[in-house]
Amino acid sequence: MSEQNNGVLPRGVTQQEFNAAVEKFRALLGNENVLVEQQQLVPYNKIMMSVENAAHAPSAAVTATTVEQVQGVVKICNEHRIPIWTISTGRNFGYGSAAPGQRGQVILDLKKMNRIIKVDPEMCYALVEPGVTYGQLYDYIQENNLPVMLSFSAPSAIAGPVGNTMDRGVGYTPYGEHFMMQCGMEVVLANGDVYRTGMGGVKGSNTWQIFKWGYGPTLDGMFTQSNYGICTKMGFWLMPKPPVFKPFEIIFENEEDIVEIVEVLRPLRIRGIIPNSAVIANILWEAGSGNVRRSDYITEPGHTPDEIQKQIQKDTGMGAWNLYAALYGTQEQVDVNWKIIVDEFKKLGKGRIVTQEEAGDTQPFKYRAELMSGVPNLQEFGLYNWRGGGGSMWFAPVSEARGSECRKQAAMAKRVLHKYGLDYVAEFIVAPRDMHHVIDVLYDRTNEEETQRADACFAELLDEFEKEGYAVYRVNTRFQERVAQSYGKAKRDLEHAIKRAVDPNNILAPGRSGIDLDTYKS
Amino acid sequence: MSMDRRFVLKGMALGSLAGLTLGGALPALGAAHGSPRSSAARPALVLVNQGAEQSAFVQGARATGAAVQVRQIGGDLTDLLSLQSQLGSGRKMRLIGLLDDASAALVVDMARSAGARVEWLGQHTARGGVTRHRLLNTASAEGCARQLGRQLHGCGAGFELTEERLGSAAPARQLSAAPRNQRHADQWAAGIGYLLGSLGAGRPTAAPLIAQAGAPLDGSFVSFSIET
Repeated sequence: MSEQNNGVLPRGVTQQEFNAAVEKFRALLGNENVLVEQQQLVPYNKIMMSVENAAHAPSAAVTATTVEQVQGVVKICNEHRIPIWTISTGRNFGYGSAAPGQRGQVILDLKKMNRIIKVDPEMCYALVEPGVTYGQLYDYIQENNLPVMLSFSAPSAIAGPVGNTMDRGVGYTPYGEHFMMQCGMEVVLANGDVYRTGMGGVKGSNTWQIFKWGYGPTLDGMFTQSNYGICTKMGFWLMPKPPVFKPFEIIFENEEDIVEIVEVLRPLRIRGIIPNSAVIANILWEAGSGNVRRSDYITEPGHTPDEIQKQIQKDTGMGAWNLYAALYGTQEQVDVNWKIIVDEFKKLGKGRIVTQEEAGDTQPFKYRAELMSGVPNLQEFGLYNWRGGGGSMWFAPVSEARGSECRKQAAMAKRVLHKYGLDYVAEFIVAPRDMHHVIDVLYDRTNEEETQRADACFAELLDEFEKEGYAVYRVNTRFQERVAQSYGKAKRDLEHAIKRAVDPNNILAPGRSGIDLDTYKS
Repeated sequence: MSMDRRFVLKGMALGSLAGLTLGGALPALGAAHGSPRSSAARPALVLVNQGAEQSAFVQGARATGAAVQVRQIGGDLTDLLSLQSQLGSGRKMRLIGLLDDASAALVVDMARSAGARVEWLGQHTARGGVTRHRLLNTASAEGCARQLGRQLHGCGAGFELTEERLGSAAPARQLSAAPRNQRHADQWAAGIGYLLGSLGAGRPTAAPLIAQAGAPLDGSFVSFSIET
């Protein structure tokens, strides 16, 4: 039996204490589910953030297959004060990947808890375990010819609904605000209790995935982006597959067009004419996801100059901004809404409309249409080849869905990124009232100087946006403490009071969203 | 991160290969084909991007004398899901590869999901005849980074190499050299192919010199050695 030999220990835990815990993990889970050898842990340590891998090295990883085993893991962790970092599929690329938030934490990998417990095609919901991937669900729906469709983030096939929803991720369909579509969680608490939210606590209830609120305080949100419990089951609503799906793109030539795009789009979203989480991608996002590489145009270091971006537009037919949206419903419904949309953009006098018939199988239209219709693909990983080098950190401030605000945020981000010699690679994901302004800070991790620049750039983005009253909705584990500070002391005090109440030994993912009983000073 | 840890992590040792001499005596690939350095090199499936089946990396892997099967990976979901299925099948497999960032991000993560072992993970950039390498290694790849450094130095191309050993308390190893010539600009990829092809087959040795075909390899790549 191999000993832990990777030289990494959880904070404040002795080797002896750690070894005792590992022996208990083995007895509970079996040797094959307790990973302590270096070769087993390397893939958990592939990070894309602007620090050394060592800062996020795990001491071990354990895999559980049942709720009872998760309870057992929690018990052992309490006995030996072992901090655990839970992952479901671990595909949170650019937000921390599968690595723990802090060096030495033991990863609790729930990939083997991958049962699709139920898909109800009439009530249109699913109940799944954390290791279920969207790809697995998609196959299940296809094989059983069920009249429902999925909503997922771009890593679609390989990511999963539990992890994405617990991190409050978004997708691109009318059900794209995933936490809004969540209905019923099962959570293992730090004391080992199994808590079900909503109607889940009622014996014999058949409405756990039907009615969110239950009775009394509704606590679902408390378990997202937090470290108060381990989600072991989650229900979520599925969209009925529409008889007609009509994706389209509107291409805009100039950066300044963002103001008018958003002003036309907002009322269409609020009125429900455009029902889905539409996307407005800038030229570099479009190019990267369309298999264009920066080195095809320029090899000099630094940001990609505007004239090069214009050249890419000219060569590819891509816009400075590229709006993707879709219509869903009967032919009559789609026809009515299509006319409204076309009329609105015609009035604007800008924008070239591209339909699916016109686009054919060209990228990035094809993958955008697939994402909007719940068909998995991996095309957007092409962004990692835009600049190359393995560095990627999502900077994702929230913006009002107001043209002037989007322009202001875009200009601010571009200015800061260019100051550090990096590119503004961005998309706005359009909700009725807000925008998730998602920027991929891409850089070369083989270049120590560039990595340090990316780190400083990300910090300055946070600082500069905070000065204007903006904050991100989600962040990688490198910057989670910094972002927590943006949201204020009262919130942090309350979060830590809750932590003390539900996890006094601070064993569940210390540091998650800045919540850490060992380091927080009120 | 605490200040003390930051201090330890930042306390990298700087090394130099300036004192090393290889005398420009890199053996020719043709010779290596006939006499691989070790018959213990194990069979491997070699993953490369489309169009790279004759690349320097593949030539390096072949030069070990081991049986290698080359598979070209595109961005297609079907390719990758097929690989995922193979990784998760429970059959013994050994994969080595040199892929673009996007494909490698997926392959390495699929390896994690399949419970595979990763002995070597390298991030590489080659631009204008200068290369940079960031390695995350395990004890089973002991000596490989140093050997790669010697190889790169011998080739005459400028390079920077940083090696982190998972969990090691030792500071990351840094090696570098200024460029002297561009004669063997692709040799870095052959060297990695050779090192990965012969991992676990004894003390790492220098890769034979490849026959460079076409323009030098340019861009960003990820190398890996994975075993199920």
